[in-house]
Amino acid sequence: MHRLRVLILKEWEELAKIKMVIYGALFLPLLMGGLAGFMVWQGQGLPPEAQAALFNTALMYFLILPVMIPVTLAVYSIVGEKEQGTLEPLLATPLTDWELFVGKAVVAVLPSVGLTWTVFALFLAAAHVMLGGIPSGVLTLPWLLSITVLSPLLAVFGVLVSMLVSSRTSDPRAAYQFSGLAVVPTLVPLIVYSVQMTAVNLLLVILEGGILVLLNAVLLFLAVRLFRREEILTRWK
Amino acid sequence: MIRTEGLTRRFGDRLAVDGLTLEVREGEILGLLGPNGAGKTTTVRMLACLLAPTGGRAWVGGHEVGKEASAIRSTVGILTESPGFYKRLTLERNMRYFAELYGVPDPRSAVQRYLERLGLWDRRTDAVATLSKGLRQRLALARALVHEPKVLFLDEPTAGLDPESARDVRRFIAELADERRTILLCTHNLTEAEELCNRIAVLRTRLIALDRPAALKRRMSGSRVTVELGNPRPEFARDLGLPCVRAAELAGPTLQVEVADPERDVPALVRRLVELGAEIRAVARDERSLEDVYLELVGGNDAPA
Repeated sequence: MHRLRVLILKEWEELAKIKMVIYGALFLPLLMGGLAGFMVWQGQGLPPEAQAALFNTALMYFLILPVMIPVTLAVYSIVGEKEQGTLEPLLATPLTDWELFVGKAVVAVLPSVGLTWTVFALFLAAAHVMLGGIPSGVLTLPWLLSITVLSPLLAVFGVLVSMLVSSRTSDPRAAYQFSGLAVVPTLVPLIVYSVQMTAVNLLLVILEGGILVLLNAVLLFLAVRLFRREEILTRWK
Repeated sequence: MIRTEGLTRRFGDRLAVDGLTLEVREGEILGLLGPNGAGKTTTVRMLACLLAPTGGRAWVGGHEVGKEASAIRSTVGILTESPGFYKRLTLERNMRYFAELYGVPDPRSAVQRYLERLGLWDRRTDAVATLSKGLRQRLALARALVHEPKVLFLDEPTAGLDPESARDVRRFIAELADERRTILLCTHNLTEAEELCNRIAVLRTRLIALDRPAALKRRMSGSRVTVELGNPRPEFARDLGLPCVRAAELAGPTLQVEVADPERDVPALVRRLVELGAEIRAVARDERSLEDVYLELVGGNDAPA
Protein backbone atom coordinates (compact mmCIF):
# COMPACT_ATOMS: atom_id res chain seq x y z
CA MET A 1 0.00 0.00 0.00
CA HIS A 2 2.90 2.32 0.76
CA ARG A 3 4.37 2.07 -2.74
CA LEU A 4 0.90 2.42 -4.26
CA ARG A 5 0.35 5.67 -2.38
CA VAL A 6 3.80 6.93 -3.36
CA LEU A 7 3.13 6.22 -7.02
CA ILE A 8 -0.33 7.82 -7.03
CA LEU A 9 0.82 11.02 -5.32
CA LYS A 10 3.77 11.43 -7.67
CA GLU A 11 1.59 10.84 -10.73
CA TRP A 12 -0.93 13.47 -9.69
CA GLU A 13 1.80 15.94 -8.91
CA GLU A 14 3.30 15.37 -12.34
CA LEU A 15 -0.02 15.46 -14.22
CA ALA A 16 -0.91 18.71 -12.46
CA LYS A 17 2.10 20.28 -14.16
CA ILE A 18 1.01 19.27 -17.67
CA LYS A 19 -1.32 22.03 -18.83
CA MET A 20 -2.59 20.07 -21.85
CA VAL A 21 -3.69 17.22 -19.61
CA ILE A 22 -5.47 19.59 -17.24
CA TYR A 23 -7.22 21.44 -20.05
CA GLY A 24 -8.05 18.15 -21.80
CA ALA A 25 -9.51 16.68 -18.62
CA LEU A 26 -11.57 19.80 -17.91
CA PHE A 27 -12.77 20.45 -21.45
CA LEU A 28 -14.91 17.36 -21.87
CA PRO A 29 -16.85 17.60 -18.57
CA LEU A 30 -17.52 21.28 -19.16
CA LEU A 31 -18.68 20.60 -22.71
CA MET A 32 -20.92 17.66 -21.75
CA GLY A 33 -22.25 19.46 -18.68
CA GLY A 34 -22.95 22.51 -20.84
CA LEU A 35 -24.76 20.43 -23.44
CA ALA A 36 -26.83 18.68 -20.78
CA GLY A 37 -27.70 22.04 -19.26
CA PHE A 38 -28.59 23.44 -22.68
CA MET A 39 -31.00 20.52 -23.30
CA VAL A 40 -32.73 21.12 -19.99
CA TRP A 41 -32.83 24.87 -20.65
CA GLN A 42 -34.62 24.18 -23.94
CA GLY A 43 -37.28 22.29 -22.01
CA GLN A 44 -38.42 25.37 -20.14
CA GLY A 45 -42.12 25.83 -20.64
CA LEU A 46 -42.65 22.29 -22.04
CA PRO A 47 -45.08 19.87 -20.38
CA PRO A 48 -43.56 17.91 -17.46
CA GLU A 49 -43.45 14.64 -19.50
CA ALA A 50 -41.39 16.34 -22.24
CA GLN A 51 -39.12 17.95 -19.65
CA ALA A 52 -38.57 14.55 -18.04
CA ALA A 53 -37.66 13.00 -21.41
CA LEU A 54 -35.08 15.74 -22.08
CA PHE A 55 -33.75 15.39 -18.57
CA ASN A 56 -33.33 11.63 -19.02
CA THR A 57 -31.38 12.14 -22.24
CA ALA A 58 -29.19 14.77 -20.56
CA LEU A 59 -28.39 12.37 -17.75
CA MET A 60 -26.78 9.96 -20.23
CA TYR A 61 -23.95 12.40 -20.80
CA PHE A 62 -22.88 11.71 -17.26
CA LEU A 63 -22.38 8.04 -18.05
CA ILE A 64 -20.23 8.82 -21.07
CA LEU A 65 -18.00 11.26 -19.19
CA PRO A 66 -16.24 8.89 -16.79
CA VAL A 67 -15.24 6.64 -19.69
CA MET A 68 -13.91 9.39 -21.89
CA ILE A 69 -12.08 11.63 -19.40
CA PRO A 70 -9.48 9.13 -18.19
CA VAL A 71 -8.42 7.73 -21.57
CA THR A 72 -5.73 10.35 -22.14
CA LEU A 73 -4.43 10.01 -18.60
CA ALA A 74 -4.40 6.22 -18.75
CA VAL A 75 -2.70 5.94 -22.14
CA TYR A 76 -0.07 8.41 -21.03
CA SER A 77 0.57 6.34 -17.92
CA ILE A 78 2.76 3.69 -19.55
CA VAL A 79 3.66 5.35 -22.84
CA GLY A 80 4.67 8.50 -20.98
CA GLU A 81 7.06 6.59 -18.77
CA LYS A 82 8.64 5.00 -21.81
CA GLU A 83 8.86 8.29 -23.67
CA GLN A 84 10.60 9.98 -20.73
CA GLY A 85 12.96 7.05 -20.23
CA THR A 86 11.73 6.56 -16.68
CA LEU A 87 10.22 3.11 -17.17
CA GLU A 88 13.47 1.16 -16.81
CA PRO A 89 14.51 2.79 -13.50
CA LEU A 90 10.92 2.41 -12.30
CA LEU A 91 10.79 -1.29 -13.21
CA ALA A 92 14.12 -1.77 -11.43
CA THR A 93 12.48 -0.77 -8.11
CA PRO A 94 10.64 -3.33 -5.98
CA LEU A 95 7.31 -2.06 -7.40
CA THR A 96 5.21 -5.04 -8.51
CA ASP A 97 3.20 -5.24 -11.73
CA TRP A 98 -0.01 -5.14 -9.67
CA GLU A 99 1.06 -2.02 -7.84
CA LEU A 100 2.07 -0.37 -11.09
CA PHE A 101 -1.24 -1.15 -12.80
CA VAL A 102 -3.54 -0.47 -9.88
CA GLY A 103 -1.67 2.74 -9.05
CA LYS A 104 -1.80 4.04 -12.60
CA ALA A 105 -5.49 3.08 -12.86
CA VAL A 106 -6.40 4.92 -9.64
CA VAL A 107 -4.53 7.98 -10.89
CA ALA A 108 -6.83 8.14 -13.93
CA VAL A 109 -10.10 6.90 -12.37
CA LEU A 110 -10.42 9.11 -9.29
CA PRO A 111 -10.16 12.50 -11.04
CA SER A 112 -12.55 11.29 -13.76
CA VAL A 113 -15.20 10.17 -11.29
CA GLY A 114 -14.65 13.26 -9.17
CA LEU A 115 -15.09 15.54 -12.17
CA THR A 116 -18.16 13.64 -13.35
CA TRP A 117 -19.83 13.91 -9.96
CA THR A 118 -18.91 17.59 -9.63
CA VAL A 119 -20.29 18.48 -13.06
CA PHE A 120 -23.37 16.35 -12.31
CA ALA A 121 -23.97 18.29 -9.09
CA LEU A 122 -23.52 21.59 -10.96
CA PHE A 123 -25.94 20.37 -13.62
CA LEU A 124 -28.57 19.49 -11.03
CA ALA A 125 -28.17 22.90 -9.39
CA ALA A 126 -28.46 24.67 -12.75
CA ALA A 127 -31.49 22.57 -13.73
CA HIS A 128 -33.13 23.38 -10.42
CA VAL A 129 -32.70 27.07 -11.09
CA MET A 130 -33.81 26.89 -14.75
CA LEU A 131 -36.84 24.67 -14.24
CA GLY A 132 -37.72 25.80 -10.74
CA GLY A 133 -37.10 22.24 -9.51
CA ILE A 134 -36.17 18.79 -10.80
CA PRO A 135 -39.04 17.12 -12.74
CA SER A 136 -40.68 14.41 -10.68
CA GLY A 137 -39.86 10.81 -11.59
CA VAL A 138 -36.52 11.70 -13.17
CA LEU A 139 -33.96 11.34 -10.43
CA THR A 140 -34.98 7.81 -9.55
CA LEU A 141 -32.95 5.26 -7.62
CA PRO A 142 -31.74 3.51 -10.86
CA TRP A 143 -30.44 6.83 -12.21
CA LEU A 144 -28.76 7.78 -8.96
CA LEU A 145 -27.18 4.32 -8.81
CA SER A 146 -26.08 4.71 -12.42
CA ILE A 147 -24.28 7.94 -11.59
CA THR A 148 -22.80 6.84 -8.28
CA VAL A 149 -21.98 3.18 -9.01
CA LEU A 150 -21.93 2.67 -12.79
CA SER A 151 -19.84 5.80 -13.41
CA PRO A 152 -16.84 4.58 -11.40
CA LEU A 153 -17.17 1.09 -12.89
CA LEU A 154 -17.27 2.52 -16.41
CA ALA A 155 -14.27 4.70 -15.60
CA VAL A 156 -12.32 1.68 -14.38
CA PHE A 157 -13.27 -0.19 -17.55
CA GLY A 158 -12.10 2.65 -19.83
CA VAL A 159 -8.87 3.02 -17.88
CA LEU A 160 -8.02 -0.66 -17.86
CA VAL A 161 -8.64 -1.01 -21.59
CA SER A 162 -6.48 2.05 -22.25
CA MET A 163 -3.68 0.80 -20.05
CA LEU A 164 -3.84 -2.66 -21.56
CA VAL A 165 -3.51 -1.10 -25.00
CA SER A 166 -0.85 1.29 -23.75
CA SER A 167 1.35 -1.50 -22.46
CA ARG A 168 0.92 -3.70 -25.54
CA THR A 169 1.54 -1.20 -28.32
CA SER A 170 4.97 0.02 -29.26
CA ASP A 171 3.84 3.32 -30.72
CA PRO A 172 2.27 6.04 -28.56
CA ARG A 173 0.08 7.29 -31.42
CA ALA A 174 -1.31 3.80 -31.98
CA ALA A 175 -1.97 3.53 -28.25
CA TYR A 176 -4.10 6.67 -28.29
CA GLN A 177 -6.05 5.55 -31.35
CA PHE A 178 -6.73 2.02 -30.13
CA SER A 179 -7.72 3.26 -26.70
CA GLY A 180 -10.26 5.59 -28.26
CA LEU A 181 -11.85 2.65 -30.04
CA ALA A 182 -11.83 0.54 -26.91
CA VAL A 183 -14.28 2.90 -25.28
CA VAL A 184 -16.96 2.09 -27.85
CA PRO A 185 -18.35 -1.05 -26.12
CA THR A 186 -19.06 0.95 -22.98
CA LEU A 187 -21.48 3.07 -24.95
CA VAL A 188 -23.78 0.12 -25.73
CA PRO A 189 -26.00 0.50 -22.64
CA LEU A 190 -26.36 4.18 -23.36
CA ILE A 191 -27.49 3.47 -26.90
CA VAL A 192 -30.01 1.01 -25.49
CA TYR A 193 -31.36 3.69 -23.17
CA SER A 194 -31.38 6.44 -25.73
CA VAL A 195 -33.34 4.52 -28.39
CA GLN A 196 -35.66 3.49 -25.54
CA MET A 197 -35.33 -0.18 -26.25
CA THR A 198 -35.80 -0.37 -22.54
CA ALA A 199 -36.28 2.02 -19.66
CA VAL A 200 -33.68 2.61 -16.98
CA ASN A 201 -34.61 0.28 -14.17
CA LEU A 202 -32.99 -1.12 -11.07
CA LEU A 203 -32.56 -4.64 -12.48
CA LEU A 204 -30.79 -3.31 -15.56
CA VAL A 205 -28.46 -1.14 -13.48
CA ILE A 206 -27.61 -4.07 -11.19
CA LEU A 207 -27.06 -6.31 -14.23
CA GLU A 208 -24.78 -3.76 -15.89
CA GLY A 209 -22.94 -3.19 -12.66
CA GLY A 210 -22.39 -6.92 -12.21
CA ILE A 211 -21.14 -7.32 -15.78
CA LEU A 212 -18.78 -4.37 -15.37
CA VAL A 213 -17.38 -5.72 -12.10
CA LEU A 214 -16.67 -9.04 -13.80
CA LEU A 215 -15.22 -7.40 -16.90
CA ASN A 216 -13.02 -5.13 -14.81
CA ALA A 217 -11.70 -8.05 -12.77
CA VAL A 218 -10.90 -9.99 -15.95
CA LEU A 219 -9.31 -6.92 -17.54
CA LEU A 220 -7.12 -6.20 -14.51
CA PHE A 221 -6.00 -9.81 -14.42
CA LEU A 222 -5.29 -9.76 -18.17
CA ALA A 223 -3.55 -6.39 -18.02
CA VAL A 224 -1.14 -7.60 -15.35
CA ARG A 225 -0.62 -10.99 -17.02
CA LEU A 226 0.00 -9.42 -20.41
CA PHE A 227 2.26 -6.71 -19.04
CA ARG A 228 5.67 -7.86 -20.16
CA ARG A 229 8.43 -5.79 -18.61
CA GLU A 230 10.99 -7.17 -20.97
CA GLU A 231 8.95 -6.66 -24.12
CA ILE A 232 8.43 -3.05 -23.19
CA LEU A 233 12.12 -2.58 -22.48
CA THR A 234 13.44 -4.33 -25.54
CA ARG A 235 10.80 -3.73 -28.21
CA TRP A 236 9.88 -0.12 -27.59
CA LYS A 237 12.27 2.32 -29.17
CA MET B 1 28.55 -10.78 -4.73
CA ILE B 2 27.60 -11.48 -8.35
CA ARG B 3 27.87 -14.95 -9.86
CA THR B 4 26.66 -16.27 -13.19
CA GLU B 5 26.76 -19.81 -14.50
CA GLY B 6 26.15 -20.25 -18.20
CA LEU B 7 23.87 -17.22 -18.25
CA THR B 8 22.14 -17.09 -21.62
CA ARG B 9 19.56 -14.90 -23.27
CA ARG B 10 17.92 -15.38 -26.64
CA PHE B 11 15.62 -12.97 -28.46
CA GLY B 12 13.88 -15.26 -30.94
CA ASP B 13 16.61 -16.66 -33.14
CA ARG B 14 19.17 -14.13 -32.00
CA LEU B 15 21.53 -15.07 -29.23
CA ALA B 16 22.30 -11.96 -27.16
CA VAL B 17 24.29 -13.53 -24.33
CA ASP B 18 25.76 -16.99 -24.65
CA GLY B 19 26.73 -19.04 -21.61
CA LEU B 20 28.26 -16.27 -19.53
CA THR B 21 30.08 -17.56 -16.48
CA LEU B 22 31.82 -15.12 -14.17
CA GLU B 23 32.09 -14.00 -10.59
CA VAL B 24 32.41 -10.48 -9.19
CA ARG B 25 33.74 -10.21 -5.67
CA GLU B 26 32.50 -7.77 -3.02
CA GLY B 27 34.01 -4.31 -3.48
CA GLU B 28 35.28 -5.12 -6.94
CA ILE B 29 34.68 -3.06 -10.08
CA LEU B 30 34.29 -5.33 -13.06
CA GLY B 31 34.31 -3.65 -16.45
CA LEU B 32 32.11 -5.14 -19.14
CA LEU B 33 33.60 -4.27 -22.50
CA GLY B 34 32.33 -5.17 -25.91
CA PRO B 35 31.08 -3.69 -29.15
CA ASN B 36 27.49 -2.53 -29.58
CA GLY B 37 25.16 -5.53 -29.44
CA ALA B 38 27.73 -7.62 -27.55
CA GLY B 39 25.24 -8.33 -24.75
CA LYS B 40 26.47 -5.92 -22.07
CA THR B 41 23.14 -4.20 -21.46
CA THR B 42 21.26 -7.49 -21.73
CA THR B 43 23.55 -8.97 -19.07
CA VAL B 44 22.93 -6.02 -16.75
CA ARG B 45 19.19 -6.23 -17.34
CA MET B 46 19.17 -9.93 -16.53
CA LEU B 47 21.13 -9.36 -13.33
CA ALA B 48 18.80 -6.51 -12.35
CA CYS B 49 15.79 -8.80 -12.94
CA LEU B 50 14.49 -6.67 -15.80
CA LEU B 51 14.93 -9.49 -18.30
CA ALA B 52 14.57 -13.19 -17.61
CA PRO B 53 17.47 -15.41 -18.66
CA THR B 54 16.59 -18.10 -21.19
CA GLY B 55 19.37 -20.31 -19.86
CA GLY B 56 21.86 -20.63 -17.02
CA ARG B 57 21.63 -19.20 -13.53
CA ALA B 58 22.82 -16.12 -11.70
CA TRP B 59 23.00 -14.80 -8.15
CA VAL B 60 23.22 -11.21 -6.97
CA GLY B 61 23.96 -10.56 -3.31
CA GLY B 62 23.18 -14.19 -2.59
CA HIS B 63 19.72 -14.00 -4.20
CA GLU B 64 18.97 -16.05 -7.28
CA VAL B 65 17.92 -14.18 -10.40
CA GLY B 66 14.41 -15.14 -11.50
CA LYS B 67 13.44 -16.50 -8.09
CA GLU B 68 14.06 -13.61 -5.72
CA ALA B 69 13.46 -10.61 -7.97
CA SER B 70 12.13 -8.34 -5.23
CA ALA B 71 15.12 -8.97 -2.95
CA ILE B 72 17.53 -8.36 -5.83
CA ARG B 73 15.82 -5.12 -6.84
CA SER B 74 16.23 -3.83 -3.29
CA THR B 75 19.91 -4.83 -3.31
CA VAL B 76 20.97 -3.27 -6.60
CA GLY B 77 21.14 0.25 -7.94
CA ILE B 78 21.04 0.74 -11.68
CA LEU B 79 22.19 3.57 -13.88
CA THR B 80 20.62 2.94 -17.25
CA GLU B 81 22.16 3.81 -20.59
CA SER B 82 19.88 6.83 -21.08
CA PRO B 83 18.57 7.67 -17.65
CA GLY B 84 15.20 9.39 -17.75
CA PHE B 85 13.54 11.60 -15.17
CA TYR B 86 10.18 13.21 -14.59
CA LYS B 87 11.36 16.42 -16.19
CA ARG B 88 8.63 18.66 -14.85
CA LEU B 89 9.33 17.65 -11.27
CA THR B 90 12.20 18.99 -9.19
CA LEU B 91 15.42 17.10 -8.53
CA GLU B 92 14.40 16.58 -4.93
CA ARG B 93 10.94 15.25 -5.87
CA ASN B 94 12.39 12.84 -8.43
CA MET B 95 14.83 11.53 -5.85
CA ARG B 96 12.26 11.30 -3.06
CA TYR B 97 9.92 9.31 -5.32
CA PHE B 98 12.51 6.62 -5.92
CA ALA B 99 13.68 6.67 -2.29
CA GLU B 100 10.09 6.05 -1.18
CA LEU B 101 9.55 3.30 -3.75
CA TYR B 102 12.66 1.56 -2.44
CA GLY B 103 11.29 1.90 1.09
CA VAL B 104 14.15 4.06 2.40
CA PRO B 105 13.34 4.69 6.10
CA ASP B 106 14.16 8.43 6.03
CA PRO B 107 13.82 9.48 2.38
CA ARG B 108 14.40 13.19 2.96
CA SER B 109 17.78 12.79 4.62
CA ALA B 110 18.84 10.11 2.11
CA VAL B 111 17.93 12.45 -0.74
CA GLN B 112 19.78 15.33 0.88
CA ARG B 113 22.86 13.16 1.51
CA TYR B 114 23.22 12.12 -2.12
CA LEU B 115 22.24 15.43 -3.67
CA GLU B 116 24.91 17.06 -1.53
CA ARG B 117 27.47 14.39 -2.37
CA LEU B 118 26.88 14.87 -6.07
CA GLY B 119 26.93 18.67 -5.75
CA LEU B 120 23.26 19.07 -6.66
CA TRP B 121 21.74 20.22 -3.39
CA ASP B 122 21.68 23.90 -4.43
CA ARG B 123 19.62 22.95 -7.47
CA ARG B 124 17.20 20.72 -5.59
CA THR B 125 14.16 22.90 -6.27
CA ASP B 126 14.85 23.23 -10.00
CA ALA B 127 12.91 21.16 -12.52
CA VAL B 128 15.01 18.36 -13.99
CA ALA B 129 14.29 19.78 -17.46
CA THR B 130 16.65 22.67 -16.66
CA LEU B 131 19.68 20.44 -16.00
CA SER B 132 22.54 19.89 -18.40
CA LYS B 133 23.35 16.36 -19.54
CA GLY B 134 26.28 16.17 -17.14
CA LEU B 135 24.16 17.19 -14.16
CA ARG B 136 21.44 14.74 -15.16
CA GLN B 137 24.01 11.97 -15.19
CA ARG B 138 25.07 12.96 -11.69
CA LEU B 139 21.44 12.96 -10.63
CA ALA B 140 21.03 9.50 -12.16
CA LEU B 141 23.96 8.32 -10.05
CA ALA B 142 22.38 9.85 -6.96
CA ARG B 143 19.11 8.08 -7.78
CA ALA B 144 20.90 4.76 -8.23
CA LEU B 145 22.43 5.16 -4.77
CA VAL B 146 19.60 6.62 -2.74
CA HIS B 147 18.62 3.23 -1.23
CA GLU B 148 22.25 2.36 -0.38
CA PRO B 149 22.60 -0.62 -2.70
CA LYS B 150 25.49 -3.02 -2.21
CA VAL B 151 25.63 -3.72 -5.93
CA LEU B 152 25.66 -1.13 -8.68
CA PHE B 153 25.10 -1.63 -12.38
CA LEU B 154 26.42 1.33 -14.32
CA ASP B 155 25.65 1.29 -18.02
CA GLU B 156 27.81 3.79 -19.93
CA PRO B 157 27.98 6.27 -17.04
CA THR B 158 30.10 8.81 -18.92
CA ALA B 159 28.68 8.41 -22.42
CA GLY B 160 28.12 11.75 -24.11
CA LEU B 161 29.57 13.80 -21.24
CA ASP B 162 32.12 16.56 -21.66
CA PRO B 163 35.60 15.67 -20.30
CA GLU B 164 35.11 17.59 -17.06
CA SER B 165 31.76 15.98 -16.24
CA ALA B 166 33.14 12.57 -17.23
CA ARG B 167 36.08 13.07 -14.87
CA ASP B 168 33.72 14.01 -12.01
CA VAL B 169 31.63 10.90 -12.61
CA ARG B 170 34.74 8.70 -12.73
CA ARG B 171 35.99 10.18 -9.46
CA PHE B 172 32.67 9.45 -7.86
CA ILE B 173 32.68 5.85 -9.09
CA ALA B 174 36.15 5.40 -7.61
CA GLU B 175 34.81 6.71 -4.27
CA LEU B 176 32.00 4.18 -4.42
CA ALA B 177 34.48 1.35 -4.82
CA ASP B 178 36.28 2.60 -1.70
CA GLU B 179 32.99 2.09 0.15
CA ARG B 180 33.14 -1.65 -0.72
CA ARG B 181 30.29 -1.48 -3.20
CA THR B 182 30.39 -4.03 -5.97
CA ILE B 183 30.16 -2.40 -9.37
CA LEU B 184 29.50 -3.78 -12.81
CA LEU B 185 30.55 -1.10 -15.25
CA CYS B 186 29.56 -1.29 -18.91
CA THR B 187 31.63 1.04 -20.99
CA HIS B 188 33.13 1.70 -24.40
CA ASN B 189 35.70 3.98 -22.83
CA LEU B 190 38.84 1.86 -22.50
CA THR B 191 40.79 4.50 -20.57
CA GLU B 192 37.95 4.65 -18.09
CA ALA B 193 37.88 0.86 -17.79
CA GLU B 194 41.62 0.72 -17.22
CA GLU B 195 41.48 3.53 -14.66
CA LEU B 196 38.55 2.23 -12.64
CA CYS B 197 38.22 -1.51 -13.04
CA ASN B 198 39.89 -4.22 -11.00
CA ARG B 199 39.12 -6.68 -13.76
CA ILE B 200 37.79 -6.48 -17.28
CA ALA B 201 35.46 -8.90 -19.04
CA VAL B 202 35.43 -8.63 -22.81
CA LEU B 203 32.11 -9.76 -24.18
CA ARG B 204 30.98 -10.46 -27.69
CA THR B 205 27.84 -12.48 -27.00
CA ARG B 206 30.25 -14.92 -25.34
CA LEU B 207 32.90 -14.11 -22.78
CA ILE B 208 36.11 -13.62 -24.75
CA ALA B 209 38.47 -12.64 -21.95
CA LEU B 210 38.38 -11.94 -18.24
CA ASP B 211 41.40 -10.62 -16.38
CA ARG B 212 43.06 -7.63 -14.74
CA PRO B 213 43.76 -4.81 -17.24
CA ALA B 214 47.53 -5.18 -16.81
CA ALA B 215 47.36 -8.94 -17.26
CA LEU B 216 45.25 -8.57 -20.38
CA LYS B 217 47.76 -6.18 -21.86
CA ARG B 218 50.64 -8.43 -20.91
CA ARG B 219 48.97 -11.47 -22.33
CA MET B 220 48.45 -9.80 -25.66
CA SER B 221 51.71 -7.91 -25.76
CA GLY B 222 54.52 -8.95 -28.09
CA SER B 223 57.88 -10.39 -27.10
CA ARG B 224 59.90 -7.51 -28.51
CA VAL B 225 62.18 -5.32 -26.42
CA THR B 226 63.49 -1.99 -27.70
CA VAL B 227 66.86 -0.75 -26.43
CA GLU B 228 67.99 2.80 -27.12
CA LEU B 229 71.80 2.90 -27.33
CA GLY B 230 74.26 5.76 -26.91
CA ASN B 231 76.95 3.95 -28.89
CA PRO B 232 75.26 1.66 -31.42
CA ARG B 233 77.56 -1.01 -32.87
CA PRO B 234 76.69 -4.07 -35.05
CA GLU B 235 78.10 -6.58 -32.52
CA PHE B 236 75.46 -5.61 -30.01
CA ALA B 237 72.98 -7.34 -32.27
CA ARG B 238 75.31 -10.08 -33.53
CA ASP B 239 77.08 -11.19 -30.34
CA LEU B 240 74.33 -11.29 -27.77
CA GLY B 241 74.64 -15.10 -27.49
CA LEU B 242 71.75 -15.54 -25.06
CA PRO B 243 69.48 -18.61 -25.37
CA CYS B 244 66.38 -16.46 -24.72
CA VAL B 245 67.10 -14.17 -27.67
CA ARG B 246 65.32 -15.22 -30.81
CA ALA B 247 66.36 -12.34 -33.05
CA ALA B 248 68.07 -8.96 -32.80
CA GLU B 249 68.27 -6.10 -35.23
CA LEU B 250 70.02 -2.75 -35.04
CA ALA B 251 68.47 0.22 -36.77
CA GLY B 252 70.28 3.45 -36.05
CA PRO B 253 70.54 3.90 -32.27
CA THR B 254 67.71 1.42 -31.70
CA LEU B 255 68.25 -2.23 -31.00
CA GLN B 256 65.17 -4.40 -31.44
CA VAL B 257 65.43 -7.74 -29.63
CA GLU B 258 62.92 -10.57 -29.80
CA VAL B 259 62.99 -12.58 -26.55
CA ALA B 260 61.03 -15.56 -25.25
CA ASP B 261 59.52 -13.84 -22.16
CA PRO B 262 60.20 -10.10 -21.85
CA GLU B 263 59.37 -9.94 -18.14
CA ARG B 264 61.89 -12.70 -17.34
CA ASP B 265 64.55 -12.01 -19.98
CA VAL B 266 65.06 -8.23 -19.91
CA PRO B 267 67.51 -8.20 -16.92
CA ALA B 268 69.73 -10.80 -18.61
CA LEU B 269 69.63 -8.90 -21.87
CA VAL B 270 70.63 -5.63 -20.17
CA ARG B 271 73.50 -7.37 -18.32
CA ARG B 272 74.81 -8.87 -21.55
CA LEU B 273 74.67 -5.57 -23.40
CA VAL B 274 76.57 -3.83 -20.59
CA GLU B 275 79.20 -6.62 -20.76
CA LEU B 276 79.53 -5.92 -24.49
CA GLY B 277 80.18 -2.24 -23.67
CA ALA B 278 76.83 -0.80 -24.67
CA GLU B 279 75.69 2.55 -23.29
CA ILE B 280 72.04 1.94 -22.57
CA ARG B 281 69.83 4.99 -22.58
CA ALA B 282 66.42 3.35 -22.38
CA VAL B 283 64.78 -0.06 -22.42
CA ALA B 284 61.14 -0.47 -23.35
CA ARG B 285 58.93 -3.46 -23.73
CA ASP B 286 56.66 -3.55 -26.71
CA GLU B 287 53.59 -3.15 -24.51
CA ARG B 288 50.22 -2.91 -26.13
CA SER B 289 47.55 -0.48 -25.07
CA LEU B 290 44.25 -1.77 -23.74
CA GLU B 291 42.69 -0.47 -26.92
CA ASP B 292 44.98 -2.67 -29.05
CA VAL B 293 44.17 -5.64 -26.86
CA TYR B 294 40.45 -4.96 -26.98
CA LEU B 295 40.39 -4.50 -30.74
CA GLU B 296 42.29 -7.72 -31.26
CA LEU B 297 39.99 -9.61 -28.91
CA VAL B 298 36.72 -8.42 -30.38
CA GLY B 299 38.03 -8.36 -33.89
CA GLY B 300 38.94 -11.97 -34.38
CA ASN B 301 39.16 -14.27 -31.42
CA ASP B 302 35.99 -16.22 -30.76
CA ALA B 303 37.37 -18.59 -28.19
CA PRO B 304 36.61 -17.82 -24.58
CA ALA B 305 39.67 -17.21 -22.46
